[in-house]
Amino acid sequence: MNFTEENGKVKHIPGGRVGNPMAQQSINEALKERERKAREELNADKTEQADPELALDSTERVKVLSPGQLVFKRFITNKLAIVGSLILIFMFLFAFVMPIFYPYSQTEIFYKYDNSLIDYAQAKERTEYTLLYLDGAPEVHYSVKNKLTATITGMEKDGIEEMTLADTDGNSYSIRKDADHIYSLYAVDSEEYASISGSVKYATYSTIGSVLTYEADAEEVSGLADAIKKAISGKQKTFTLGNDEYSLVQDKKTYTVFRASEGMNYNFEKQGEDFEALVTENEEGGVFTYKNETFRVVPAGEGLVVYRVNGESAVALLTTYVFDTYDSSFTVSDEFQVAALQASLEGGSFTAGGTDYKVVSEEDETLIYSAADSTTPVAAFSTLVIRRYSGEDTLSLDFKEQARTTIEEMNASGSKTGSFTWPIAQVDANGEYAYDENGEVIKEDRTVTITNKNGSYVMTAEQVVYLIDTFSRPTKEHPAGTDGDGMDVLSRMMYGGRVSLMVAFVVVILETVLGIIMGGIAGFFGGWVDNVIMRAVDIFYCIPSMPILIIMGAMFDALKMKPYVRLTWMMAVLGILGWAGVARLVRGQILSLREQEFMVAAEAIGLRSRKRIFRHLIPNVMPQLIVTATSGLGGVIITESTLSYLGLGVKHPLASWGTMINSVSTAEAMKSYTYIWVPVGLLICLTVVAFNFVGDGLRDAFDPKMKR
Amino acid sequence: MAKFIAKRLGLCVIIFFFVTFIVYILEYSLPTSYVEKTARELATRPGNTKSAQQWIDELNAQYGMDQGIIKGYGTWLGNSAAGHFGDSWAQTMPVTELFNTCIWYSFVMGLICFILEIIIAIPLGVLAARKQYSFTDYAVTVVSMIAISMPTFFVATVLKLIFSVKLGWFELVGMQGRYYATLDAAGRFKDLANHLVLPIMTLTIVSIGGLMRYTRTNMLEVLNADYVRTARAKGLPENKVVSHHAFRNTLIPLVTILGGSLPGLFSGALITETLFGIRGIGYYAYASMVAGDIPFTMFYLAFISILTLLGNLISDILYAVVDPRVRVN
Repeated sequence: MNFTEENGKVKHIPGGRVGNPMAQQSINEALKERERKAREELNADKTEQADPELALDSTERVKVLSPGQLVFKRFITNKLAIVGSLILIFMFLFAFVMPIFYPYSQTEIFYKYDNSLIDYAQAKERTEYTLLYLDGAPEVHYSVKNKLTATITGMEKDGIEEMTLADTDGNSYSIRKDADHIYSLYAVDSEEYASISGSVKYATYSTIGSVLTYEADAEEVSGLADAIKKAISGKQKTFTLGNDEYSLVQDKKTYTVFRASEGMNYNFEKQGEDFEALVTENEEGGVFTYKNETFRVVPAGEGLVVYRVNGESAVALLTTYVFDTYDSSFTVSDEFQVAALQASLEGGSFTAGGTDYKVVSEEDETLIYSAADSTTPVAAFSTLVIRRYSGEDTLSLDFKEQARTTIEEMNASGSKTGSFTWPIAQVDANGEYAYDENGEVIKEDRTVTITNKNGSYVMTAEQVVYLIDTFSRPTKEHPAGTDGDGMDVLSRMMYGGRVSLMVAFVVVILETVLGIIMGGIAGFFGGWVDNVIMRAVDIFYCIPSMPILIIMGAMFDALKMKPYVRLTWMMAVLGILGWAGVARLVRGQILSLREQEFMVAAEAIGLRSRKRIFRHLIPNVMPQLIVTATSGLGGVIITESTLSYLGLGVKHPLASWGTMINSVSTAEAMKSYTYIWVPVGLLICLTVVAFNFVGDGLRDAFDPKMKR
Repeated sequence: MAKFIAKRLGLCVIIFFFVTFIVYILEYSLPTSYVEKTARELATRPGNTKSAQQWIDELNAQYGMDQGIIKGYGTWLGNSAAGHFGDSWAQTMPVTELFNTCIWYSFVMGLICFILEIIIAIPLGVLAARKQYSFTDYAVTVVSMIAISMPTFFVATVLKLIFSVKLGWFELVGMQGRYYATLDAAGRFKDLANHLVLPIMTLTIVSIGGLMRYTRTNMLEVLNADYVRTARAKGLPENKVVSHHAFRNTLIPLVTILGGSLPGLFSGALITETLFGIRGIGYYAYASMVAGDIPFTMFYLAFISILTLLGNLISDILYAVVDPRVRVN
């Protein structure tokens, strides 16, 4: 501290400690006067002395600085403070100016076209037989429909060409193989010819009037009525009379009487023993010929029924072939399918819907050409069903053909995987095809990989899809990459900085204002006011602020508060919890300043107390306040970012440095996305360090006594 | 002295009443819907034997939430004084039992961190002050400033990345390794120690800067004092000046502040314990605050308030004990 600095032109305001301004004023005047005189003398001497020399005690030798300039000079000679100031200037530009020129906002979501491995299509060998009705054919009974596939599979296994089956109504059908994958279903016209049943309906007995009516062909049995009566009264279901066994079936007041029988009942003319022998031979079910007529035996309950077959008619075609069309406008009707399949058996042509078609068999599929145009097929059929995985059947026949060929090769070589190249369309944000400027679907050649998974072939390919651009590494468009929501990290860093700085300033201003008011009142008035306020300060010092902020945060979460509302609340709570320190500082300063001469003078000239506090006392506390506030800014930023990191502070979609780090805090994300959280963390550290450096620098500048 | 202590103690009690009252008001004014929702959520958790209404009834009985604020506070205070703190909602066990299980982890961590802090920060602070404006001084100042400026969660994340992800030396979170159950007593101790390294490192890094700066500032002040100049003028060796005349006087503020932070060893580390999954009091406190577990939160807040007040009291008393000049006044 040299003489000049101490005796600079002093206002009492910023320097604070220099007592009487009037005294300083007079010294200053005296100095100026002396300097003026010295200058006059020098000018007078100029004619004599060519090279004027300054007097040793000339004030021109030393520069006179105001206290403000002094503080500034001391501040800028502090290297750390300069570094801190530069960082802060950068931060402010970064947070408040750069977003104006930066093209992205904090909530803009970015998309990109990228390869995504998708299950493109699926192929499956069809084993289910579909039933194609022939023109005008009657409905096939459901019990037959249900067992068609099972029956045919059994036939194929056993190498049987023809099989008969019956529905539950007794109508019979027969299946005949026409070719591989094609079978015909015939309805067999038959009638019940004879039957063997365990019991025969013999008579009806009505309890009203005890009437016993015999069936037409039954012989009267003496004592039957009495036996029935006895059985009914004894609640017996069966009874024996003579050598025969009878059974009763009740229907309200009427009983049907059955007699056990072993013989065959004929619906038509009775046949000889040889016929019955044939029936017995086939009692498990079967067909036999007797006197140029075909009979079929079907087991039924305890007995069996013999049908006479009169003839048969084709009802339907059964096939595992699936039809694909080359043109999506071309619809394949049942009639068309039947005609095409029949034609394929004969290897010729057919007519459907008034158009002629030609059938050409190839290795793995059968193509159908229109007779008019023999170059482009209209449809094809094969047993391999190829579908888009998403369910929409928009695959082109060429693709299917390629897939079939590849699968054929795979099966031939016995390998589980195969691949072919196919141009795959690009998909836009809506899941629809993306078109280029010419209106063409954008396609790119991709390798479609086919994998055989237990008989079902899954075709996977990389498709270019329109995705949210998440966790993109730093690129030209996004200098700091994008985050998990596809938002630009650099932009969010800027806006996050804005939030952090804004919160810090609002909170610090709030707590400083509160602190000045409370501390000023306490320090100035003293006595019981001081006591009350200082106890309040003690209480607020003791309140654990972090837990309270966490509780508030959790409550705001539960109440689903809007981001801006909770931000305001958070700032208010932080400010209210933080004023105590400022109040204590202000009070302490005021207590010591109150005793100084200028305050006595202020009182003596009769200034009101409000003016004395706010015009004379507070400005003198300012230096200390500025120092505390500057360091406090850093503290608030740490608190805010910690709360945001815990998810209890600033909320999405508002950006905050803490939230940005939190979004990549899992072990995996932490490892992979260091380019997001490390810069953000460094920004926090830099800003807080800068505030602390500047705070320290200011303190040293204001109060040089602290330095050696 | 006795009168001074008694006066301070009385003041502490009054402050304690007000602090807990404010905390009580805070918990009391939580929206009823929030309390009910929390109770209902907690009642549906597995292992819970009580219904939501039972929880709320119990809370009301314990904390007087259904009475007026003053009366309710009286109820809570009476119950707490008798040692009844109720059952923690989040952990479904008595608060005091939970406290007993978790406090020692926090204490051990706090103690180790405290010792490390003293061992590292004080010598460095003294060194920086002795060679003011040297490279060492700048280094110490900058390092301490950076340590102060780093948010806990960032330090924790960086340490995790370096030591557990990249180097794989320590576990990422938790207190027990995968094979904890199969280890013998010594192995278990080693396993636990291994898990505690990173959290203690984090705590030390975050808290070391303040003490370093404090030591440096006070040492500088003492080194500027007249008696140090006198000692030097008398021709004492610099080492003796520093260790005998300067450092002993620096100890006055140091002992005061360190003594004051002794009760803080029990307060746990809210953020660090949560980030590292150390089942200390800070971990459970954070969990209960987030889950809206009023009983444990109230207990924790009251506990922390007592620790803070105790810290201040110890500071004041130590100041008087260590510095004879204060005792005279």
